Amino acid sequence: METKPVKQQSVLAQMLPHSARQTGQRPSFSMLPYFFILPTLILIGLVVVYPLVEAAFLSLTDASFVNPVPQFVALKNFVNILSSDTFWQVFGNTLVWTVSVVVFQFIVGLLTALLLNQNYRGRALTRALIILPWVTPGVIVALLWRMMYEPQLGIINGVLVRLGVMHQVIPWLAQISTAMPAVVVASIWKGSPFSTVMYLAALQGVSKEILDAAKIDGAAGFNQLRYVIIPTIAPVIRITVLLTTVWTANYFDLIYVMTSGGPLDHTHIFPTYIYELAFARAKTGMAAAYGLTAAAVLLMFSLLYIRELNSRKALD
Amino acid sequence: MYAKWNESRYHYRKILNRCLLYATVIVVVGAFMLPFLWMVSVALKPADEVFLFPPRVLPGHPTLLNFATALNPAFLRYGLNSILVATLTTAVTVLFAVFSAYSFSRLEFPGRKALLVVIILTQLLPLAVLIVPMYRILSRMGLINTYPALLIAYLTFTIPVAVWFLRGFFAGIPFELEESAMIDGCTRGRAFFAVVLPLSLPGISATATYVFFVTWQELMFSLAFTTTRDMRTLSVGILDFIGEHVTDWGALMAASILVCLPVFALFIFMQNQFIAGLTEGAIKG
Repeated sequence: METKPVKQQSVLAQMLPHSARQTGQRPSFSMLPYFFILPTLILIGLVVVYPLVEAAFLSLTDASFVNPVPQFVALKNFVNILSSDTFWQVFGNTLVWTVSVVVFQFIVGLLTALLLNQNYRGRALTRALIILPWVTPGVIVALLWRMMYEPQLGIINGVLVRLGVMHQVIPWLAQISTAMPAVVVASIWKGSPFSTVMYLAALQGVSKEILDAAKIDGAAGFNQLRYVIIPTIAPVIRITVLLTTVWTANYFDLIYVMTSGGPLDHTHIFPTYIYELAFARAKTGMAAAYGLTAAAVLLMFSLLYIRELNSRKALD
Repeated sequence: MYAKWNESRYHYRKILNRCLLYATVIVVVGAFMLPFLWMVSVALKPADEVFLFPPRVLPGHPTLLNFATALNPAFLRYGLNSILVATLTTAVTVLFAVFSAYSFSRLEFPGRKALLVVIILTQLLPLAVLIVPMYRILSRMGLINTYPALLIAYLTFTIPVAVWFLRGFFAGIPFELEESAMIDGCTRGRAFFAVVLPLSLPGISATATYVFFVTWQELMFSLAFTTTRDMRTLSVGILDFIGEHVTDWGALMAASILVCLPVFALFIFMQNQFIAGLTEGAIKG
């Protein structure tokens, strides 16, 4: 019902100069922008930068909740981390988790977007429904899937046993071989709608004329997708994939509630393991070192994202 | 004769394609909806039906008893905490973000791009890195287990996201409007308050919705910085239903539905602006 005004706004936004300077703003130096930005900057300094500096200091100490006067241990925490099996296990888990969620989220998101982009009755309703998993709080998604995976009363075991696919129930979340795939599936269900929304928005920019021209040239179905649609929406795909990569790698709620990192640390990813180090094992210095290491790895993706935005002039 | 046959074949294929399209849409959307249907089904089941194996798809004797169990005093307290913290965080966030987002989208000044990069880096920062130092800082300030602790923790991720969202919305407002106000003698600041701010109300409410939505469901900081039951928010408190040995899944699903309702309602109400905010902010900038 209200789709139109928003669409108009976005078209308008594309046509108009992005910031004032192109329309001949007064060149005189003004303090107003700094005055407007200063409160936010001070706030970010206090709640983000200051804690980060403190984390950097802590990571160089043997601080723990039971150790009131932490000793300076230089880079010992980092050396210990990099030479420990747990670190590489958590690193590997984070990698498997992030890559599989992001890849499937891309595929499911794109296919769903292509489908919902067709012309049919009830399109607005289906577009609204499909977003619900993404709007559902992470804790609720985790609890819901945890129940569905339950060996004794879960619907997944129930259906598979009744269909005769399996003869015995599987404790999906308690078994090393199935725990990670199980949490990945739940995460794909929750995350894909975000990709769908992004790709649906991008598909608005694929012009009907070009598609028709491609059709006349004999490109149909998969070829049309490969040679026309994907190249056109490639920038949006890159941005969406980078965003979902960072979000997935940092996603705490789902794994914490579904498995708490178990069985035997096999689903621990950086955020859940850092939380456990800090609060269950009270290894403050170590947790800080883990946090900084994870942040350093993810920084690369953040920089790629910024580069992508910059190349699209989204920062000007 | 041949032409007619060809035409009817074309017609037939068209109908077949339509049917296929509708079937695919129903299957795909249905697949995404199945977990929700299961959630509602379990929430409506009496206790003895929840534990049947193999589980029944639909409740045999639907009951609202689980909702009564879910709405216990502790749960209501968690709900109150969540509402308070999410509302407070949203208000503070929007207040700060409106001004800086306006500066970023409309004004030219040295260091603008660098500061924008800082905002994006903050937005993508792994929050787990903040949890340890934040806990120590909050303890030193004596704030552990208070609402301000959660507010401070939540501002770390709400502020950058809100600035980014609002910047996209401000960019959609024609600059000519401000310009003519300024030609009429308004100062830049007055033009902002009198012209831009009222026009961007839809954008501001979409941003507020998004901030409310992310704070409402936050788990990690709430888990770490609240220590007594009466200070817990819903996302932590709902884990109460998971027992050491037995979990009351019926009540848990009923409670889950209750936790989802406010965000679903907000989303349905704000759907279009919400999606515009998401896509414009991330795609176009």
